[in-house]
Amino acid sequence: MYVAAAAFAAAALVLPLWGFSMSAPQYPDETLHLRVQRSGIVGDVQEIETLQHYVGVRFPTDMPELKWATRAIAASAVLLLLGAFVGRGAGAHVYRVGCAVAFVMFLVASAAVVQARLYQVGHERDPHSPLRGMHDFTPPLIGPAKVGNFTVWSFPHAGAVLLLAAAALTIAGSRRRAA
Amino acid sequence: MKRHPVLLVAVSVVATLASVYATGCGASRSARSLAAEKVYVAPGELDKYYAFLSGGQSGSVFVVGVPSGRLIREIPVFEPRAAYGYAMSDSDPRRQELVATGGVWGDTHHPVLSETDGMPDGKYLWINDLANGRLARIRLDYFEADRILKLPNMQGAHGIAVVSPNTKYIVVNGEFELPTDGLVTNPAPYTSLVSFVDPDAMEVKFQVRVNGNIDIADTSKDGRYSFSTVYNLEQGNTMGAMIQYDRDAVAAIDIPAAEKAVAAGRGEVRNGVPILDPEQNPGVLTLIAVPKNPHGINVTPDGRYAIAAGKLSPTVTIIDAHTLKIVAEPEVGLGPLHTTFDDRGNAFTSLFLDSQVVKWNIDKAVKGSPDYIVDRINVHYNIGHLQAVGGDHLHPAGDYLIALNKLSKDMYMPVGPDLPENQEIIDISGEKMKMLASFPTPPEPHDATFMAVSVLKPLVHQTYTPADNAVQAGKERVVRTGPHAVTVDMTLIRSAYTPDSFQVREGDQVTLKITNIETIRDMIHGLAVPDHNLNIALAPGYTKTVTFDAGQPGVYWFYCTNFCSALHLEMRGRMVVQPKDGAVILTDWHAAENVKGQVVPGVPSTGDSK
Repeated sequence: MYVAAAAFAAAALVLPLWGFSMSAPQYPDETLHLRVQRSGIVGDVQEIETLQHYVGVRFPTDMPELKWATRAIAASAVLLLLGAFVGRGAGAHVYRVGCAVAFVMFLVASAAVVQARLYQVGHERDPHSPLRGMHDFTPPLIGPAKVGNFTVWSFPHAGAVLLLAAAALTIAGSRRRAA
Repeated sequence: MKRHPVLLVAVSVVATLASVYATGCGASRSARSLAAEKVYVAPGELDKYYAFLSGGQSGSVFVVGVPSGRLIREIPVFEPRAAYGYAMSDSDPRRQELVATGGVWGDTHHPVLSETDGMPDGKYLWINDLANGRLARIRLDYFEADRILKLPNMQGAHGIAVVSPNTKYIVVNGEFELPTDGLVTNPAPYTSLVSFVDPDAMEVKFQVRVNGNIDIADTSKDGRYSFSTVYNLEQGNTMGAMIQYDRDAVAAIDIPAAEKAVAAGRGEVRNGVPILDPEQNPGVLTLIAVPKNPHGINVTPDGRYAIAAGKLSPTVTIIDAHTLKIVAEPEVGLGPLHTTFDDRGNAFTSLFLDSQVVKWNIDKAVKGSPDYIVDRINVHYNIGHLQAVGGDHLHPAGDYLIALNKLSKDMYMPVGPDLPENQEIIDISGEKMKMLASFPTPPEPHDATFMAVSVLKPLVHQTYTPADNAVQAGKERVVRTGPHAVTVDMTLIRSAYTPDSFQVREGDQVTLKITNIETIRDMIHGLAVPDHNLNIALAPGYTKTVTFDAGQPGVYWFYCTNFCSALHLEMRGRMVVQPKDGAVILTDWHAAENVKGQVVPGVPSTGDSK
């Protein structure tokens, strides 16, 4: 199980972590997509930046959390892999529980950071943007938000889903062996 | 009641009249509803077919949806169109072709589609210009004209046809006769020419002489023959002289035989094109005598017959397309002009003088059976061409037919002496024809051809892939390339031009290269410079280069002419023309050096000093 969890974590290094989809009536069959990856934001970036300009929304210029997240996921993968080989003793059990706790704390912290970024994007808007009457907004971590004429969906992408699965495996793995 | 027979009679009469009126109205209401339903295409739905109509003296091709009859767009060909940025500036390649080959207007008549295995494949459409003897090609992936060819040695390019089944040549009939020996006014006998054009290279490969005026063209389904109606075998120069004979001809050219003769060097080469004289090359041309100043010629979808319409004779002549023998000449009505077909062995011929379409059964007419006429329907008014969906291809659909009428008279509300043209959509799916709808167009469609939306739609692009020479974001610049020359490389994207201003000197020649760097469809932008006779329309991904002379000293605000965005009105820039001896600030400006931080559309460049 820990091997699987480690594999999932390793896969999360290369897969997109978070995703956004944006749709509006005048973009029929043309839903716009964004993905947050290790390297930054990719997808329909040019079109979305062009649209964001009207309401003063800006992509964060610098996202140090991506670098930290990469390091944390890589470290987790290694630690989880070790968790498969530490045996059955009491020390091993402590190690595994420790892994599970640390991993879950890392995921909770990541979720908080994502939510904070979402808040930032909706509130730190350019005050001189062309369109008036747009209210500050906070997109939910997972779910839809109405931004002007767009419906924006925020959701964990493949990488984040695998990390969640890895967390579940880690927890399950640490409890079973205790028995 | 019995005691009042008059009252009884009166009540019965009223009741009968009322019920007749009610059912009559009801019946006509339901016939109207049925017809309306057949042609109604709700907002957001698509038509079933593209209909390509020639534009006549509009010099263009109209794209109409069937069954709704709505004009979807006009494809400009021979005439510049500011709204599409087509052939507007002197440096535009299409405009240069037009100016070099006879002028910036044309008279388009016959649209034909490229075929693969006898069916339209969505690659190209060709259209003729009768007035200036030209053939144009439109590429259907972008719906734009890409080549204009002036046909050498001939005058008056009229009927054209695609050599089936795989578009080996485009056959173009030269309608007007020119002196045989090519000299200007020598009263030696005249002759006309049929041209065979290579569809990819857009070059005339060879021509064949025919004595008489060559009219409409079609080809046999197996690629063996081209068929052209020939009127005025009398070779008269006046109208009276042109109608003397009772019979003129259909000219059948044996294409393989002609190719052999050309390869053997038996053509007289003029202006680089070999011209075959049929008298010197027996077997190339066969004349089949048909009455009388015949007009249309149409080959049946199964390839068995070529049907010539008699125009001044109330008959159609059915010719066996393999033996070239006449098999029947049934009477159909007054003024037969063109014939089209359904998928059940019927032919539909347009009758100009009777102002009708007549439906007749081909087998019955060939066998001489007396009941070959199936149905007639009145059209409004005086029909010229008609075309059923697929009637000119291997597999007709047998559902809709368009009648292209010459006179509209009372069909539309008055709009002055220049009346619109009237086309009518007829349902031919049943035994009897049913009139469904009419739609007007500007002058003056002649003929039409169709493609199924399901076949063509996936092949059509709605944005351009940027060319190698496209201007890229961050690489914009203004540079002085000579003492009197400035080059501006510009990009545009909602809702800004980069650079948004540049300075030149009076007398400079400005070369403006501009790329629309949008990637999403329908984000078309424009750039018009006031007082400089300049409008550029740019679809996403498109790059256009124009060269113009800077005008009088002053400030010229160039602006976006094609509605693009919420900030469309604000999408504007300045061209400043300094006097001859004035100082030009910003002689050399490069985007990358001058924009601080991230490139954000709409932020003015800091290289401009005010």
